[in-house]
Amino acid sequence: MYKSILLAMLGAVALNAADVREIREDIEIPYISYDIKMGEHFDAVQTNCLTCHSFGYVTNQGPQSKEQWRKKVEKMVVHFKAPITDADSADITEYLFKHYGNGQEK
Amino acid sequence: MERRDFFKKSLVVAGAAAIGTSLEAASLPKDNAKVSNIAFPQKRPMITYSDRPPLLESTRDVFSQAITPNDQFFVRWHMPEIPTHVDLNTFRLKVNGEVKKELSLSVDQLKHEFEAVEFTAVLQCGGNGRSAFTPIAGGIQWGNGAVGNATWKGVRLRDILERAGIKKEAGWVGFNGMDNASYYETPNFVREMSLTELDDHVIVAYEMNGEELPYLNGFPLRLIVPGYYSDSWVKMLSNLTLTKSYQKLFFMDVAYRIPDNECECEEPGEKNVKTKPIKKMNVKSIIGYPTNNTVVYNNSHVTVRGVAFDQGKGIRAVLVSVDEGKTWEEAILHKDTLGRYSFREFRYSFKPTKFGKQKIMSKAISKSGEEQPLAENIKWNHGGYKYNGVDVVTIEVV
Repeated sequence: MYKSILLAMLGAVALNAADVREIREDIEIPYISYDIKMGEHFDAVQTNCLTCHSFGYVTNQGPQSKEQWRKKVEKMVVHFKAPITDADSADITEYLFKHYGNGQEK
Repeated sequence: MERRDFFKKSLVVAGAAAIGTSLEAASLPKDNAKVSNIAFPQKRPMITYSDRPPLLESTRDVFSQAITPNDQFFVRWHMPEIPTHVDLNTFRLKVNGEVKKELSLSVDQLKHEFEAVEFTAVLQCGGNGRSAFTPIAGGIQWGNGAVGNATWKGVRLRDILERAGIKKEAGWVGFNGMDNASYYETPNFVREMSLTELDDHVIVAYEMNGEELPYLNGFPLRLIVPGYYSDSWVKMLSNLTLTKSYQKLFFMDVAYRIPDNECECEEPGEKNVKTKPIKKMNVKSIIGYPTNNTVVYNNSHVTVRGVAFDQGKGIRAVLVSVDEGKTWEEAILHKDTLGRYSFREFRYSFKPTKFGKQKIMSKAISKSGEEQPLAENIKWNHGGYKYNGVDVVTIEVV
């Protein structure tokens, strides 16, 4: 009797052992604060862009032309369906080009 | 060298570099990104371009060994919402669509009811090395480290589909993972593959380098498509859907595409270029040791170590030059024990005999004769994909 209980317990332990996971609870994705330049229209950037991605996505794209930035914002609206108004899109493009642009229109 | 000569010489070099950037389509990828001081779950601190979605890059020194450790393996997600907990008791891989019998499989079932297969394969982001392109190509400016090599263990996709029974009409299989966008309307990161492309090397993996997959690399299941860029390797795979015909998908039809011509290149600003998915990887080598700015003694033995790979034809040779590309010598290739989809380690010993900056260059050649081009000969494409320039590190001889 005792023996069978012991065996059953051992069995349970073995089952658990087979199920041992490296992480059992939620993982936590750390928050990193990326330096971002302040300036006109930053509020539009903050309102619209951060919903989907960090500022790292802005600062790690490299300096781009105004057209490249405009297309990037357009891609967020057309392909990723971000609900950004036309006015905000224009403001965001201005901001991105001013602070992360290469000085060229095209 | 006289001090004055040295300055003259560096002026000439600087001049050439300045001209170079305006004319060339590619130079070397950046190699100075800082490692973050914040580590992500199951990872050592890595180069961190974004926390949400997570974008982590390996440093160059990782590439002196054939197997990339899980905790240093690069990470690239597209969607901000990644499940932060997966309960294996309830998690199921669903198989549906044009099948005779829909399936709902637990990871445990995959492990015990199917034949396990294991092989080693390189996983590389199509945008790895993007920072080399001029003018800047759209996207995260990856250096050299959006690539890694691991031993994957899992189940053949074909075996899973056969258990479900593939209907005659089925032509395509779609793969969906558990990551989600912030907006309901955003397209999911779904991939599709023609059933004709499917071979026995396409597996659904539950293990990476003998461990469960790290969360950020796709726990609990990841699609493994050896030879293909990582946009095909769907993470946190939860759904296989068979369809009669190809479904329109953003990540196949708009993103991850290159010009559909022989050079896979285009002029910046060129309109209406016909494109194709990036698919298979080109030949490449990466030097893992020494790294840029490593200091070595003159006349000492320096052993260069690195890795080479291609789409699975296999590596025939890696050539190394320590005289700015004038002469090339064959490196010693490590025995081919990990298979044709794996990193192949190489090493090359030499004695530096001049003080100052010393360039080390490596060039891989595949068994099909594909050769790694010099960076300056790489043509531009708008997405900055498939960079595979001859690798160069510059060390300091003292």
